[in-house]
Amino acid sequence: MIGNRINAAVFATAMLLASTSLQAHHSAVMFEETKEVTFEGVVKEFQFTNPHSWLLVDVTNKDGSVTTWGFEAEGPSTLLRNGVRPADFRSGTKLTITGRPMRDGRPGALWRKAVRADGVEFYPGGRPASAARP
Amino acid sequence: MKLFKKLAVLVILATVPATVFAQGGRQSPDEFRRMLDVGLKHRTASELYEALKTDAHGGKQSPPYDQLPDWSGLWTAAGGNSFFDPGPGGIMPKLKPAVAAVLKQGAELAAKGIEYDENLSQCGPPGFPRWLVIPFLREFIVRPEQTWLTSETVNNVRRIYTDGRSHPAPEERYPLYYGDSIGFWDGPKLVIHTNQLMTRSMGRQQPSQSDQMETVEIWQKVRAGVIEADVWIYDPALYLEPWYLKRTYNQLPNPTKSVRIQYWNCNENPNNEVYKTPDGSTNYKDLTFTNKNDSKEPTR
Repeated sequence: MIGNRINAAVFATAMLLASTSLQAHHSAVMFEETKEVTFEGVVKEFQFTNPHSWLLVDVTNKDGSVTTWGFEAEGPSTLLRNGVRPADFRSGTKLTITGRPMRDGRPGALWRKAVRADGVEFYPGGRPASAARP
Repeated sequence: MKLFKKLAVLVILATVPATVFAQGGRQSPDEFRRMLDVGLKHRTASELYEALKTDAHGGKQSPPYDQLPDWSGLWTAAGGNSFFDPGPGGIMPKLKPAVAAVLKQGAELAAKGIEYDENLSQCGPPGFPRWLVIPFLREFIVRPEQTWLTSETVNNVRRIYTDGRSHPAPEERYPLYYGDSIGFWDGPKLVIHTNQLMTRSMGRQQPSQSDQMETVEIWQKVRAGVIEADVWIYDPALYLEPWYLKRTYNQLPNPTKSVRIQYWNCNENPNNEVYKTPDGSTNYKDLTFTNKNDSKEPTR
């Protein structure tokens, strides 16, 4: 069963030190600086586009309704360099995804991390030192 | 919660200078001062360029391919000093008071989460000299008669003419996003003079450069996988004295050659459309995956 879990916590130190997002096209001020949200969901669509990519994820709410969340990342060249390929997130892929939510309450977030149901981890902005492979 | 916010600010303050110093760390304060003084010896960028040309015994125009360096591959900006930050050792640029005020105000707004990019938000060109500091991929195409310094960000190309031509005659000049660049080769070094630049913002919450700005650059591959650019900026509307900065570009490991530069179009994906909010910040327009009526201004 796909649950819906929101963790809105302040991780200022870890987030800032781990931040590798470049955000050259526009500022990232529309996203919360320190809060994170994490959901379990199913990939609806991966928009692998310049200058930014969007991973759309359907999240089932507690009342059974579904909200489509959009997770924004950099463009294809940055994602490919960081090991995120379009085929990694086909429609229907189950995953747990984490990002910094939009300040205005819309269901969008700056994509930080995703863990597919098969356990493979993805860091679209680059793998932070704290998540170094053993 | 307030405690966490204070902690976040402290971390920002602690992290940013560390980054700046790490970026400029390869250049000692003495070396930085020496290079800065090179610019200070000359009243204009043209004079510096001509002096460098004299030092290079006229330099080489349109050298044969076997005398040109190999700058092939994909490159990314690895850091270096920015236009208004202190150089190594804390050497500060001498700014006009109005420019310092704009920077101070910009920093205050950024601290409140208010930022907008007048150039890039709508996929406009970053322009030069901002081109030097933008992220993402670059390719440097070296030919005898021209060198193209290209960047993935908004598909831009700087053309450096090395065939001996001069800048356009004064009566033919007009403001350009990337200016007009001519150059010569001094061995493996490419020396560039740029003028005809446009008055426009130099970045988010940054002051505007003027159409009086002129620059001199020396580009060279200093070792395998590393290209450095020494840059002198002359703009009497910004600086009381010419300023100097060094930028470093690292070659990207791309063993499978799968990473390539692709075209940018901000209209390709409507989810990438942003607008300037009433308070001067940045927010997304209507996102395709949300209800059209759920948009509201960010709370800061």
